[in-house]
Amino acid sequence: MKVTIKSWRGVATWRWVANDDNCGICRMPFDAACPDCKIPGDDCPLVWGQCSHCFHIHCIMKWLNSQQTSLLCPMCRQEWKFKE
Amino acid sequence: MENASGNAVKMDQCIDRIFREVLENISSDNLMNSQTRNCLKMCPFSLLMMKIEKIVRIRVVPQFWSKFNNSINKDSKEGFQDFTDSVDELYENSKKFISVIDRLKESISCVHQNCEFKSDQLIKHVRHYIQGTILSQIPLQHTIIIEQFYKTAFNVFCNIEALQQPCDFPTNNELIICEGCKQEKKNCRCQVIVNIFHKTNEKLIDLGLLERLSGSVLTSLIHIRIKNYVFSVSCNSFNQSQIGNLEHWLDTVVMNWLVRIYTGGSSKMAGLPDKFRNAISTFKQKLSYFLYETYTRVRIQQLFNIILIFPDSQPALDDLRVCLKKNDLRKYLISNLQFNVKTRLLHPGVSTPDILTTYISAIKALRQLDPTCTLLEIITDPVKLYLRGREDTVRCVVSGLLNESNANNLANEIMRNKPINQDLSSSNDTAQKDSNNSTQTKKENWENWQPDLIDSENEFDLKPDLKSDLKSSLFGIYSKITPCKAEPNSAVISKNENSDLISMLVNVYGSQDLFVNEYRSLLADRLLSQLDFQTEKEYRQLQLLKERFGEQQLLSCEVMIKDLCDSQNINNNIHNDQTYMSHFKAFDTSALILSAQFWPPFKEDWKLELPAVVQQQLQKYVLAFESFKANRSICWKTHIGNVNLEIETQDRKLTLNVSPIHATIIIHFQDKNEWSLDQLSEVMHVPTTVLRRKIGYWVSQSLLIETSNDVFVLVDKLDPDNSKQFTDLTQNILEDDEDIDSAMASVSDQREEELQIFWSYIVGMLTNLDSMPLERIHQMLKMFASQGTGAVECSLAELRQFLDNKVKDHQLLYSSGLYKLPKS
Repeated sequence: MKVTIKSWRGVATWRWVANDDNCGICRMPFDAACPDCKIPGDDCPLVWGQCSHCFHIHCIMKWLNSQQTSLLCPMCRQEWKFKE
Repeated sequence: MENASGNAVKMDQCIDRIFREVLENISSDNLMNSQTRNCLKMCPFSLLMMKIEKIVRIRVVPQFWSKFNNSINKDSKEGFQDFTDSVDELYENSKKFISVIDRLKESISCVHQNCEFKSDQLIKHVRHYIQGTILSQIPLQHTIIIEQFYKTAFNVFCNIEALQQPCDFPTNNELIICEGCKQEKKNCRCQVIVNIFHKTNEKLIDLGLLERLSGSVLTSLIHIRIKNYVFSVSCNSFNQSQIGNLEHWLDTVVMNWLVRIYTGGSSKMAGLPDKFRNAISTFKQKLSYFLYETYTRVRIQQLFNIILIFPDSQPALDDLRVCLKKNDLRKYLISNLQFNVKTRLLHPGVSTPDILTTYISAIKALRQLDPTCTLLEIITDPVKLYLRGREDTVRCVVSGLLNESNANNLANEIMRNKPINQDLSSSNDTAQKDSNNSTQTKKENWENWQPDLIDSENEFDLKPDLKSDLKSSLFGIYSKITPCKAEPNSAVISKNENSDLISMLVNVYGSQDLFVNEYRSLLADRLLSQLDFQTEKEYRQLQLLKERFGEQQLLSCEVMIKDLCDSQNINNNIHNDQTYMSHFKAFDTSALILSAQFWPPFKEDWKLELPAVVQQQLQKYVLAFESFKANRSICWKTHIGNVNLEIETQDRKLTLNVSPIHATIIIHFQDKNEWSLDQLSEVMHVPTTVLRRKIGYWVSQSLLIETSNDVFVLVDKLDPDNSKQFTDLTQNILEDDEDIDSAMASVSDQREEELQIFWSYIVGMLTNLDSMPLERIHQMLKMFASQGTGAVECSLAELRQFLDNKVKDHQLLYSSGLYKLPKS
């Protein structure tokens, strides 16, 4: 007997490759959207700081905009710089 | 007969004797002075009256009744004859009395010229006396003969009527027996009977005894007749309105007969005195009421069937609505229908889709009967309660909604109805808005306000779990199972709410969360089982549902559908990717990439280990994805998917679409001809029970065969004789089985997971307080565990089930109503 696979349609779940499960600001899972967004993934991406912490982009932007003086990472209080 | 004529002669003699005696008395008074004479002016008549009264009392009336007494064993013919004879005799006698009075008057006027004698008065007196005496001596069984008399006559009459309308009542001409008089046709006595009947009636009218003697018998006869007619007309035909027909029948057949009785033969009312005309018209009113009542009762008894075939039974329902306004049978309707629903619908023998279909028809039908929907609520509440207890209710409702070919047309319903509940973001806001709305509507139509019907005392009994759910019903406006009368505005609210069929179905559970969850599961199954990426239909349905339930509730469903579209894009992109394409490619690979957070949880008791070649290929796909979407990765759900296989054996070539687990099994058999179930289970990381079920598919395809217990061998060459029909037979069964298999965890499993958060509380409670009854645990949980937003609600019944499961797993002990932790 010879079995040939003509096509394989699998099912997979995607996830962000991050060092944590939940966003440190909104406490939602990274794989879900931030509270302001409806659709996860491309519409609500993650950003990493140079301190290696990552957040939903909308969450960290909100945080940074609310800061008066210097822009610090909400987790480690180091200066926040986007990782290129 | 001889006896009767003898009696008559005796009576004649008797009357003559009286007459003579009286006359003698008068002549002997001749010499008295005028004063005395004046005093005695009435004397001869009083004397006569006394004598007559005595005869009536002692002879006439007992003679009249004598035939009635021993009538039990007589047949209707004899009864008819007896009654006629008795009435004749009585009539003759009363005539004789009158003639005697007349004779006396003549004799006296010869003697006393100026005597003012009022014979009319006397005659009246005699009549009254006869009437009174007859009624005072009524024997017990007097109705039997009267009934026989009227029955015979009525039969004859109806038969004549029937013969006159051959189209309505096709008569069998070959009958030898005449339907009317039950005699052979050649000596049919119908006409004789009719004549005698009319004469007798005339005499009774003359005697003033017709209504007294035969009124009740007549009424009951007509009632029986009406009943029979109503039954025959409305038996099992719901597609015609019968009211007009019935009224016509009453007007012609029954009233005709009645008029004939009063007129003594003619069918015209014109000649009748007012007294009788009034009597007839009151009679008619009563009969018409009785007709309606009978008809209503019949229709009420059929109401369940009427509901079952609802749109076709519209005329019957219209009839019932008209009838219900004329009488007070609403209570009867409720109890009858409730009983029917309970015994015919709400038992395990009826499948849930059938219950739902009936429920929907009932909603539509009862709403027509009673636009205020009070009736509807009372009747359907038990149905709702029952449906809540069925596991597959939500699934059936949802699949009804999604399946356009479904018989109950829910899919069409959802497109037709306007949404009523829109913004759900904050239940408190909405509740307030709702009450504002309702006060507003109330102000607008206060003039049209009608009181709610109050025939629902048992309403509270229907909701035993009401109190325990008080919190949820206050805060979740969708769980509006509070009784109608509890809040002043609720009549309006319930009217609005009930106007929407879909919401009524969704509200079976008192909340729409469960409904939305089930929809999500079903949608997930549908999307996963689809071979193509066509989502237009699902998207359209989702839009319709969103209008009804609001965006928020169905957000995850939207993401699910969007996942499918995105997956298609990703697949296209990856297939255009040069690096991925340049690698050696074992087979075409595509993927459905899901946002796990938005999909219902997957069943993952075991993780299927795919064949190495497949794993390598899928890994390549993962790499391609990772390069396409930075910082993201995918994780295969190996047991879901769809594989297109081409299988070549020595004599056959099959192309099949199978699930990954089926594919894995057959690929393993490619490497090795014989596998035991245990070996295969080890390689594939799949439990043997599941595996055995899946292998069945290949056995049915005649590719594998179970040689000994749990050992399967590949069949490379088919035995040409007997295997083919076997294949056809089993295939259907197994494919059905595949359909049922869902990739998603069932709703009840999900629910149990939710309830797990209570477990730690319960353990804590029982550690401190040793043993507790169910209600107490429920109370405590309500107090401590389910406060704050997003708390999981848990009804008493659910908690009981949860705890019982724990008892089953030996994590709890249950004895004499108390739950306890096992001593470890």
